[in-house]
Amino acid sequence: MRPMATAEDLSALVSKLGLDKQNKATLGRLIAHGNLGYAEEGADGRMHAQIRIPPDELVWDPAILVLPHGGDLDLEIFNDDQNTHCALFPSNGDSQFIWLPIHSRGTAALNLGGPGYYWYSSPIGNDEGRGLIGAIVVLGDVPQQARLDRPDQPRP
Amino acid sequence: MTEYVDAGRAVGQASLSGLAGIAPPVVQDVTYERILQARSEPQNWLTYYGTYDGQRYSPLDQINTENVKRLAPAWVFQSGSAGLHAGPSTYSFEAAPIVVDGIMFVSGWDGFVWAIDGRTGQELWRYKHAIPYDTSLCCGNVNRGVAVAKGKVFVVTLNAHVIALDATNGELVWDVTYGDVRAGESATVAPLVVKDMVVVGSSGGEFGVRGHLDAFELDTGRHVWRCYTVPKPGERGSETWPDGPAWTRGGGNCWVTGTFDPELNLMYWGTGNPAPDFDGGIREGDNLYTDSVIAVDPDNGEIRWHYQYNPHDLWDYDSTMEHILFELDGRKLLAHFDKNGYFFVLDRTNGELVRVSPFVDRITWGEIDPNGKVTPKIYPEKEGEEVHFWPGPAGGKEWTHAAYSPRTQLCYVPVQDVGASVTRRRREFKESIPYWGASVTVDSDDMAGSVSAFDPSNGNEVWRWRNDVPMCGSVLATGGDLVFAGEPTGEFNAFDARTGELLWQFQTGCGHHSSPTTYSIDGRQYLAVPLGWGAWVEGFLPGMLGAPHGDALFAFALPQE
Repeated sequence: MRPMATAEDLSALVSKLGLDKQNKATLGRLIAHGNLGYAEEGADGRMHAQIRIPPDELVWDPAILVLPHGGDLDLEIFNDDQNTHCALFPSNGDSQFIWLPIHSRGTAALNLGGPGYYWYSSPIGNDEGRGLIGAIVVLGDVPQQARLDRPDQPRP
Repeated sequence: MTEYVDAGRAVGQASLSGLAGIAPPVVQDVTYERILQARSEPQNWLTYYGTYDGQRYSPLDQINTENVKRLAPAWVFQSGSAGLHAGPSTYSFEAAPIVVDGIMFVSGWDGFVWAIDGRTGQELWRYKHAIPYDTSLCCGNVNRGVAVAKGKVFVVTLNAHVIALDATNGELVWDVTYGDVRAGESATVAPLVVKDMVVVGSSGGEFGVRGHLDAFELDTGRHVWRCYTVPKPGERGSETWPDGPAWTRGGGNCWVTGTFDPELNLMYWGTGNPAPDFDGGIREGDNLYTDSVIAVDPDNGEIRWHYQYNPHDLWDYDSTMEHILFELDGRKLLAHFDKNGYFFVLDRTNGELVRVSPFVDRITWGEIDPNGKVTPKIYPEKEGEEVHFWPGPAGGKEWTHAAYSPRTQLCYVPVQDVGASVTRRRREFKESIPYWGASVTVDSDDMAGSVSAFDPSNGNEVWRWRNDVPMCGSVLATGGDLVFAGEPTGEFNAFDARTGELLWQFQTGCGHHSSPTTYSIDGRQYLAVPLGWGAWVEGFLPGMLGAPHGDALFAFALPQE
């Protein structure tokens, strides 16, 4: 019986097996095996980040975008691929959609209300199935006034 | 520098859907006074239960026992989805559609709100709140509906915000966070507008939170009061909790909408189970105000009286479901079908028990005598030792609602006759981790269900329509002497309110787990039925976990000449 992979060596093993590339071990790419990046907060309190679609990879880069807290995020989106894709982002009020022609650049303004993670993707063809799924992770806590009146409790 | 094709700026997905984008200003004139008199405008469904009394009764009588066999779909709204948002295996449409002067307002499972033309089903506007995918939810991605008043639509979100939308275009007016997702809090309740406030409860008892009700100003979202349903040391009722941290994790959430008596100036909210659900050894005592009805002063959030249906609950028998207000021989009463399988009638002026009687056949967890004395019999007492009891944790009736017809003076209840096996498994408390204190397996066979009619004057069953599986959708009663109820297997049924005879049936293609409402436009009566099957099916009917989910809303009407 082969040993199970630990979290530390999982990425290496995924790469070795070709699960992070198109048409290797699988037809597409397993989700959540792209890079991780951080949004930066500007002086005005708005957050900024860039995400890209590299050529022939069908993955968002970063696939996991980390925000320090909830609020407004200005995104710059680049499609460096030789195929047309799109993006559908979560945002309070309505999901934000943009076409991404070959070798294009666009922008999106998102508002996310609190901690947790939110999906984004390219919902055309089977882009989602082949790897164009990403997560936006919002750090931090809810506002103080929204917390329970009780002593601090243990967290996992 | 690389030259890129300009892809422009992302747009709202709704702009690519063909919707109108605007609704007539019908909510502008919806005031507290108008909601008080909601029964006088039966063409509308102005508040969660139709009226403050929670009867889920409409005087509309165009559709009646004689012509209901001609009832047919008028339109279907497909809520649909694109991209990734809700937990795909746990969503369910559970709302009660609100209708104001021909315009319907309804919420979906994942921060969605729609305005729909009630005559045609055309989508007028939509609002989508972005919900963290990883929100702690015991019972699926659900929302039970909206409230409307003063030009706004109010709704809570799964990540425990309460928001107000402009009823004409769905744009956000205000947004207030009132729960802590990192503590396992969430929100699923349909808000209740009372006076100049919108009142909401919290969810998350299965994660060891401390339940609360909150009131916010309609116009501004300013927080007016909070009422905790688990007292902290020194507060009234705290003597029913042991020393130590048990009260901090006590549960008791009000996650189903309350009713309201404006003459007594009291709201009646049911409270959820104590946490941990099944391990009573670390919370000795009655555990007030869990599993209770609390009569709350809407002006300040104070609890005036309470009645506890399940002291020291060991079976997950939340008492959150509706409290139907009615009068009998001049006495102001309330009716409540509890998860524990008993039908309670209380004096709603003071919480005095008037009568209690069973409404489901198999009750083995314990017994309640005519004086209300509770005697537990079977419960998960010893670590690792499995016990089996009826009703299971879903209850003899789940959160879905009973109805009361003033014409027949009968209550109509969807009955779930299904048991469960429970083994106590003590665990350490940690925020946002399920805090049940047991392993639970709900029966997948040997089950039954019914729509049953009960006479609240004596607690007797008057008729019963039997089904092979539990009934898990809310009941609606109408002035046409009809009772409507959907089945888990997709049929939407109309019964004779006086005899229980099945008069009409339509297969909708998906199980019913929501609250149908009725309204009329230009004299034509419609029935609106949201569909959805998926949230917490493992808790009340695991034998149908493989059934289609569905996400449509049907409107039925008699054919036009």
